[in-house]
Amino acid sequence: MRRRLLPLLIYGLLAVFATLTLTPFAFLVASTVKTKADFVSTLFLPAGDGLFGVGWDRLTGENYRRIFGELHVPRALLNSCFLASVGSLLATLFSAMGGYALAKFRFPGREGIIRLVLAALIIPGPLLIAPGFQNLWRLGLLDTYAGLMLPGLAPAFGVFLFRQTMLNAVPSELIEAARIDGAGEFRIFFTLVFPLVRPMFGAFLMIMFLGIWNDYLGPQIVLQSPELYPLSTTVAMLKNLHWNDYGLVMAGTLVAIAPVMCLFLLLQREFIAGLTSGAVKG
Amino acid sequence: MKPYRPHPRGTPWVFLAPFLLLFGVFTAWPLLRSLQLAFEQTSGPQTTVFVGLKNFRYLATDPLFWQAMENTVTFTLGTVCVQVPVALGLALLLNRPDLRGRALFRLIFFAPSLIGMVFVALLFLPMLEKRTGLVNIWLHAVYPPWNLEFAWLENYAMTALILATVWVGAGFMMVFFLAALQHVPAELLEAAHIDGAGARQRFWHIVLPELRPVLGLMTLLAIVGSMQLFELSYLLLGDTGGVSNRGLSLVMYLYQTGFTTGDLGYASAIGWVLALLLMGVAMLQRHLARRAQED
Amino acid sequence: MLRLLSPGLWVILLLAVLSSLLVALLPVTRREGAELWTFLPTSVKHYQPVIDDWNRQHPGAPVTIKLLEYSALQRRMLSGFFAGTPTADLLEIERNIASRAFVGPLDRTGFVDLTDRVRADGLDQEIPAAGFTPWSSRGRIFGLPVGFHPVLLCYRADLVEAAGLDVSQIETWDDYFRVLRPLMADRDGDGHPDRYLISGWNTNGGFLDMLMLQADARLFDDQGRPTLDTPRNAAILARLVPWFAGPDRVAADAPDFSAAGNRQRVEGYVVGTLMPDWLAGAWKTDLPALAGRVKLMPLPAWEPGGRRTSAWGGTMIGIARTAPHVEQQWQLIKALYTSPTLAAANYRDAMIVSPLRRLRSLPFYQEPEPYFGGQRVGQLFIAQVGSMPSRPSSPFFPEAHIYVVNVLTALKQHAESIGRYDAATLEPKARELLAAAQASFVHQVARNPFLLPPP
Repeated sequence: MRRRLLPLLIYGLLAVFATLTLTPFAFLVASTVKTKADFVSTLFLPAGDGLFGVGWDRLTGENYRRIFGELHVPRALLNSCFLASVGSLLATLFSAMGGYALAKFRFPGREGIIRLVLAALIIPGPLLIAPGFQNLWRLGLLDTYAGLMLPGLAPAFGVFLFRQTMLNAVPSELIEAARIDGAGEFRIFFTLVFPLVRPMFGAFLMIMFLGIWNDYLGPQIVLQSPELYPLSTTVAMLKNLHWNDYGLVMAGTLVAIAPVMCLFLLLQREFIAGLTSGAVKG
Repeated sequence: MKPYRPHPRGTPWVFLAPFLLLFGVFTAWPLLRSLQLAFEQTSGPQTTVFVGLKNFRYLATDPLFWQAMENTVTFTLGTVCVQVPVALGLALLLNRPDLRGRALFRLIFFAPSLIGMVFVALLFLPMLEKRTGLVNIWLHAVYPPWNLEFAWLENYAMTALILATVWVGAGFMMVFFLAALQHVPAELLEAAHIDGAGARQRFWHIVLPELRPVLGLMTLLAIVGSMQLFELSYLLLGDTGGVSNRGLSLVMYLYQTGFTTGDLGYASAIGWVLALLLMGVAMLQRHLARRAQED
Repeated sequence: MLRLLSPGLWVILLLAVLSSLLVALLPVTRREGAELWTFLPTSVKHYQPVIDDWNRQHPGAPVTIKLLEYSALQRRMLSGFFAGTPTADLLEIERNIASRAFVGPLDRTGFVDLTDRVRADGLDQEIPAAGFTPWSSRGRIFGLPVGFHPVLLCYRADLVEAAGLDVSQIETWDDYFRVLRPLMADRDGDGHPDRYLISGWNTNGGFLDMLMLQADARLFDDQGRPTLDTPRNAAILARLVPWFAGPDRVAADAPDFSAAGNRQRVEGYVVGTLMPDWLAGAWKTDLPALAGRVKLMPLPAWEPGGRRTSAWGGTMIGIARTAPHVEQQWQLIKALYTSPTLAAANYRDAMIVSPLRRLRSLPFYQEPEPYFGGQRVGQLFIAQVGSMPSRPSSPFFPEAHIYVVNVLTALKQHAESIGRYDAATLEPKARELLAAAQASFVHQVARNPFLLPPP
């Protein structure tokens, strides 16, 4: 009896939690295809006499037409893609390079830099908001992509992570052997070292991509011109401008969420593996 | 045979150059500047006056700062106390080799953590409305005495923030617990089972000790993340944190003083307090972890 | 090589290359001439023809008008003012945003000081001093007002008339709640009233500000010093508590500019609303469902013979310090804000009444307005201009709001905890809370070393 009930209980609990987790998604998707009137009067899809008792004919593509037609969203989508892809690639590359230097080379000053990286790990972001703004103002980088991107391209966290990974994953003898064969230093890095840390590279890339894509405070502080805005600030602005038309805001939100969901599905395996490997091994 | 050629002496520096350069200009230098800034009062970056310890003295008696501190600590404690058990519970539910659809469930629970807090706030805003919001309507349907006028965003702002955060973060944490659970030696559990240990005993005496490092790390991450609460509260409750500033967090107050009032000096002072707090928490965790290892 | 990278990596790499190309290729909009930023869609519509004319007469530095979302306008303006980077040349901004611009030293304020120009052109004769106070700091004027924004009470005439109630005898708030009380009956039997008599909440700063201004319960004195802790303030806050709590609650929260709030207005969940002229305009646009079903009347007074109006919100236009041609911009904003044609358009679309004495006698203010049951709305608002309260010019006005809201909220909680809601019982507690608020508010204001009086 107990043997039978237990799986049932587990599946039941899982189903309840899954429903709770998915409800906001369902609400979001349904909201984007509803008219203004249906948005306030129905929770999900409007009732009607169509299939499954849903009033399919009452749905509308108007919100999407407006999002892509008259509002700034397409440009913001492009900006987000640019900032997140270029930013994450460079940040990951620079982290991997730094981590490689600290893991596989012996040189004077190495210990000092390792200590610096470890100390930098505990600097919380908010501490740098005010002085960082003043710094960008001094450098004349306010309202530029350089001002928004450059501070995020050298994450101490990344350097630390790649160093830890490379200490074990990249055998020094291999590098020596390649040198003996006369390979250049960059060639060694890209063709020999890189494939060995590829899962880590993928995971860290995804982390950086998500971080930049979802960053709100950074663009809010650094950027002023609306044509430079990424999706986070643009969609948040839609909320104030179209408070009366929340379906539109929900459509903007879905447009902002969908790309990272797709990317995640592509990178899922390496992402979760890379993410948990360091933490679990300790 | 070619003569052995060691790498040129500059090579590691070339690899380190981008990091060192960017880190120096955009992290180290502003960090040093912020030490100076914390002793100044400003009206934007160009108008500054040296005020000595005035910022910190005012901080000690500033009711809004202490309100923000209280809110942030409440939020952090609430989030950690709900999120860690929920995540662990989900991981335990999923950690059965015979479970069907495990990958699917894992994907479902993990999905919300991909959404940025900005978008979470925009999504939860209509759901938390009085009378018309999904949350109140569902609660009313499940439990009819529930008042449809229940003001999530006014009187229960903190609860709303915590619930939204758990929705986002629990699945993320669960993935780590799940990975750790799979490292729990099966032979050990088997042996305990044969020795007649019940499920509860096995959990407390074998599984939990194995999970302790991950548990500590996850708690630390949750604390550090929650202490930096900004977008969710800023967009759900407004720039001053809603009714009686109940949702005003430290970072929101920092942002407000720095960029609405223009006082980057005071904002830096708040930043330092927050930084010291977080460093304290990190050090405490490290200390506890080390002690646990020695045991 | 293909196998070297996973599909996800390839996608990101491709995305990076493509988006970089596109971002690099897309033309950067380079600004020519002057810019005017506003958050009001009606301004864009009305100013465009005038600005087109202007641009024809002043070739070389054309003016472009741009519509910005409210908080984006605030952020971009402050960011520019603080950092000294260029913003627009002309900014049309709302009250709360404006006060943020006045916290620094006077000589570094982002706006050009217009005091001497206003006097030289005789505008101070046309617009009474009270029209300038919200846009002034330390006695200097930084903007021209778009209006005065007197407040009336808007009520659901359809519901009132259907219930056979007569509003003509209402003079005070007590009268108002007594006469309309029958509307609060619980017909659907859910244990709560079906309707509430006034739309507003103890957390709504604008709502409280209107009621306190009306009652001469002031938050600042004429020098801009905080005066939260006065017997009058305590008395008014104590009288407000039973509006929101206790057995005689009459108010319900139908937030302005929210879909949920508008739904409650249409359903008649709230009967009355405090309405400045600009809100009347907003309703005409956002709430077409209420056309012909609402009417306006002077605000019920706090005491018999008391003031029947108040003031809320407002918009100014100012010139940024970074603007290259200040004199030319001054001529333009004068042309915009003193034009009878624009005043007429601004009234018909946004219901805003001009602050200029000579324009207020124009005939269109006498036209019957179908939205408000054919009432002569312009006339009704103009009749109250003379008795409007004077508003403070402190840059700490938004903070003062927050303090008062917090005091009232605490007072309401106190009333709920002791179970008593009469003003006499609550007054001492109100005084105590206000004293504490005053102390920390003064402390906060005194901290700012830049707010020195003019030499």
